[in-house]
Amino acid sequence: MVEQKKKSKNLVKDVSFRVAKVTVKAILVYLIYFLLAPMIAPLFGLIPGFMESIEAFVAVYIVLMILSDLAAKTVFQYFFNTARALFFTGYLLLSMGDGALCTSYENFSLTVNLTLFYTIAVTLSVLGFARTVLQAINFMHQKAEFSSNLQP
Amino acid sequence: MNVPIRMLGIATSIFWIMLIAVVALAAYSVKDLNFDFGEPQLKVATDGELTLSLPLYINNRGYHSLKEFHLSTVFSDMEGVEISRDNTFVPVIAHGENTTILHNITLSAVSLLEKGEQYMFNDNSLNISVTAGLNFAELFPAQISTNFTFPWGAPFYNFALGEPSYRQVDLTQVTIAVPMSFENHALFDIAGNIKIELYDRADSLLGESQTPVYVSQHSAYEGEVEFNVPLSSSSFSRTQNGYFNVYFDIGLLEYGPLVIAYG
Repeated sequence: MVEQKKKSKNLVKDVSFRVAKVTVKAILVYLIYFLLAPMIAPLFGLIPGFMESIEAFVAVYIVLMILSDLAAKTVFQYFFNTARALFFTGYLLLSMGDGALCTSYENFSLTVNLTLFYTIAVTLSVLGFARTVLQAINFMHQKAEFSSNLQP
Repeated sequence: MNVPIRMLGIATSIFWIMLIAVVALAAYSVKDLNFDFGEPQLKVATDGELTLSLPLYINNRGYHSLKEFHLSTVFSDMEGVEISRDNTFVPVIAHGENTTILHNITLSAVSLLEKGEQYMFNDNSLNISVTAGLNFAELFPAQISTNFTFPWGAPFYNFALGEPSYRQVDLTQVTIAVPMSFENHALFDIAGNIKIELYDRADSLLGESQTPVYVSQHSAYEGEVEFNVPLSSSSFSRTQNGYFNVYFDIGLLEYGPLVIAYG
């Protein structure tokens, strides 16, 4: 009885710690976006819809990060991490289009070829995805090892 | 398995930091780039070649060198047919370097006038397409382009021959005087000859006349061309209507015949 009470107390403590950690992390990420957005807004303000898509990206990224942190120490944490890595890769691939950023002002048109940048970014995000998959495998492996050790 | 995962995480993080640092430095360097255009110089050569020299000053105070800088100018007519193309290429503009690039735009008046009557007798507009590009920070090849129009002034704008007037010189010949006028809207002076042949309605050559002309740019010409035609009862009636064949020789080029009917 005392043990169960202690266990539930620990669970409450653990969950509140996770919530606090997630809140701080989310606030920090949003703060970085909040501080950087005005700097990049004049640069990308000429591209219609770019800032809106960045906003949507940051929102989804923060939600997946919160869910992943809340589900810490469970296999769902790796599900959400993988989903976040996949979302990041997908966002890069979708926003890449033909790899060129085109904008025009009056009768001037500017084209910046971002293919090389996107290629490096996508490669790194694929590495991140591979890492989350390895983490999930490692977690399941450790869990199986732990269960087999418990068996007499 | 923990070690490879950790190593993968560290390597990915290092590469992300490097990529973000390069992008941030590149973005920061853009504000230290200074492009400025000087006063364009227009030169007209004796062979009718118009050369526009455009000085471009580039002050690269950024952290990255600018590579493969190219500037291209294309002249085309209103139908989009290319008339001339000029390119300037600078392989590297090192960081901290102040460079002056002279971009020469050449337009051959001769080749333009040879393309047809529209450039000889009518004012026109030429399309100019300017494209500038460079490889910034080895990562971002960028290109900026614009289009604008350039007015082309015809050297024989509104060329006209008026109605002939007849003056009897003696019993054997009559002088036919024809007023001739045009405006030189071109960027160059005209110095040459205009040869006019007078034909009757039966295609017989009645007389010819050669007039030397010198018309400076943006000025008008008004003169008279005279033909001495032998007088006979039949020839006089034949001169009442017919046509002129006009041949232009302005040194740069020869053009003709331009057929103008009269009577």
